Amino acid sequence: MTTTTDTPRSEIAGPLTLGARGGRRRVKRKTVQTIIWAVVLTAFCLLVLYPLAWLLFASFKPNSEFGSNPGLLPNAPTIDNYFKVAEGIAGVPLWRFFANSLLLAGAAVVGTLFSSALAAYAFARVRFKGAGILFAAMIGTLLLPFHVVIIPQYILFNRLDLVDTFWPLILPRFLATEAFFVFLIVQFIRNIPRDMDEAARIDGAGHGRIFLSIILPLIKPALITSAIFAFIWTWNDFLGPLLYLTSPENYPLPIALRLYNDQTSGSDYGATVAASFIALVPILLFFIVFQRFLVSGVATQGLKG
Amino acid sequence: MFRFLKGRALGAGALIGSAVLALSACSGGGGGGAAEPAATFDPDEKVTLTMTFWGNDIRAGLYEEVIAAFNEEYPNITVNSSFLGFPEYWEKRQTEAAGGGLPDVMAMDMNYLRQYSQNGLLLDLEPYLGNIIDTEPLSEEIVGTGVVDGQTTGIPTSTNAWGMYTNPKLLEQVGVEDFQGGDWEDYQDWMKEVTDAAAAAGVQLWGGTDYTGRIQSFEIQQRANGQDLFTEDGEPNFTEEDLAEYWESGSEMREGITVPQQRLEEVYPLSGFDTAIAASELTWDNFGSGYLGNLGAEYTELGLVEPPVTEEGAKDLYLKASMLHSISAETEHPEAAATLVNFLINSPRSGEIFGSNRGIPASETALEAAELDPISQQIADYEASIEDRLGEAPPVPVVGYGTLEEKFRQIGQELGFGTITVDEAVDQFFNEMDVVLNQ
Repeated sequence: MTTTTDTPRSEIAGPLTLGARGGRRRVKRKTVQTIIWAVVLTAFCLLVLYPLAWLLFASFKPNSEFGSNPGLLPNAPTIDNYFKVAEGIAGVPLWRFFANSLLLAGAAVVGTLFSSALAAYAFARVRFKGAGILFAAMIGTLLLPFHVVIIPQYILFNRLDLVDTFWPLILPRFLATEAFFVFLIVQFIRNIPRDMDEAARIDGAGHGRIFLSIILPLIKPALITSAIFAFIWTWNDFLGPLLYLTSPENYPLPIALRLYNDQTSGSDYGATVAASFIALVPILLFFIVFQRFLVSGVATQGLKG
Repeated sequence: MFRFLKGRALGAGALIGSAVLALSACSGGGGGGAAEPAATFDPDEKVTLTMTFWGNDIRAGLYEEVIAAFNEEYPNITVNSSFLGFPEYWEKRQTEAAGGGLPDVMAMDMNYLRQYSQNGLLLDLEPYLGNIIDTEPLSEEIVGTGVVDGQTTGIPTSTNAWGMYTNPKLLEQVGVEDFQGGDWEDYQDWMKEVTDAAAAAGVQLWGGTDYTGRIQSFEIQQRANGQDLFTEDGEPNFTEEDLAEYWESGSEMREGITVPQQRLEEVYPLSGFDTAIAASELTWDNFGSGYLGNLGAEYTELGLVEPPVTEEGAKDLYLKASMLHSISAETEHPEAAATLVNFLINSPRSGEIFGSNRGIPASETALEAAELDPISQQIADYEASIEDRLGEAPPVPVVGYGTLEEKFRQIGQELGFGTITVDEAVDQFFNEMDVVLNQ
């Protein structure tokens, strides 16, 4: 964006200032500006990343150093925290928590994409009775704070005897309960010209065919955005698993992390920090791999199709 | 654009509809009577119980061992246990309390006992006392701490008492003798001596932390005058003047005698004592092993002495149940659950395995079997040594006491920062109390 607006201005400015020399000076000044910007931004970046770096270094601090040494570097570096964490908690190995987290996040991604895309197609393209009210009701659920629905939802799953299984956390994803994603995809579909559907219809395609062959390939950016958000949110979710999962072997990582910490019986800060760092790695990788899709996915939201 | 805006009225109706749906499901829950109790448990019946407690991975390992020992004796009872840290534990229990599905056997805290009992969520254990649950090894006061409105709904696993920890190694460094007892002013003078000596020696050390930030120190001062913080009916039993006087009494030590609040924030969630910048701290006596763990290997022993005296000869201290075990009112197997509770509290095996992990065992049979490490032995000795000062435990805390305790601590912090005056602090606390008690 900045380059496209800047170039014409310098082209105009070029001849107005004194010939080639002035232009070179301008280029020079521009390089200086770029360097300053780079330095300033790097400094900001370091500032923002400092907690992460602290986390990494702190994971090598022995437990007794927490509190007495708030600085970045450990006085007596040790790798024991990682060994301790690898052993797992209360007879449950660490990989189990990882597997649970992956299962939940994976199911959430699949479920969200599947159900939200279908629901969004219906809202955007199918004319049915009560579409307006239903759409408003769906948007309404965005305004409902999660805490309001906790207890009724809990009662529901408790009566269905599904507490301490993964179903209460997975099932809603397959029922398009995340209004945010439905809305995101609806807006995306609405920007796709109807001419395409109509052309397909003339060729004899029904709603199923139009959805699969026309719409689905065109909303890929929205789907990728939804997938990334669904993954990150589920991976970090604490309250949902806390309420619905009871047995330690079903816990995902965020709950397992907290098990090292208990103010009433002593806390193992070293293990907490080491486990936090390990838990962070997958999501960091996920983000690094998918971030360009994320940016392009969000950017296309604003464009007319 | 948003096509639904055209049908704005309908849309609004739908919005309200989804809100009402969500809210209407919030009521209900609680209640439910238990089956006719039997005095013994049928040893052949196959039963599965759910059981939950708070703690860390170490405690979870101990519970696993105790349950294995329990199954040697009762192979027909399968126990599915789970655990969480203290705050999450209560978040989950509160949801279950409202939505149903409390576990058969659970760890209970004094601060929640009244709320859960009065909502009918806990089984009255009266019919099992003296038969399935052996009360012989438990003192009358200890069983009494789990009684709400005439019903016994919790049995304490262990006890603790308010005490004062000192750090002998730090005191030696600055050349000050351990606190020799005395009243609160003597204690403040002693702290000043330590702080001054440390400053002279160029050591980052203070005599202690501001005890007026804790409601318990206020409680024992009030008890010395024969008044609990709250009456049996849950009415506050102290005046604004009492509280103002208490906080005022700390104003001098906050000015450079105790650890500055800013230093305390830096080391949070550890305390000043944990991090060797305070030479003494008033707290529950079960903090000892946690302190030693956090202080690190250089520190091998701690001093544990009586809190300062308010009134000579007064019975201001008391034994508090650090954890209780309760049974859900909705359990399908009350006898089996009571059998498990008895085993967790009274059996020598549980004493042997837990040691002092949950506090000093409340049951004599468990205590005798427990092999106490030096710090736990010190705590047990301490609780025996303060017998003259031990009075009857205060009534079960009012609903919302946990909130008040936390508010008290926060106000203590603000006083430490000097951001509010004592009068404002008193106002804030009484306002909070008004909200909590009258909701």
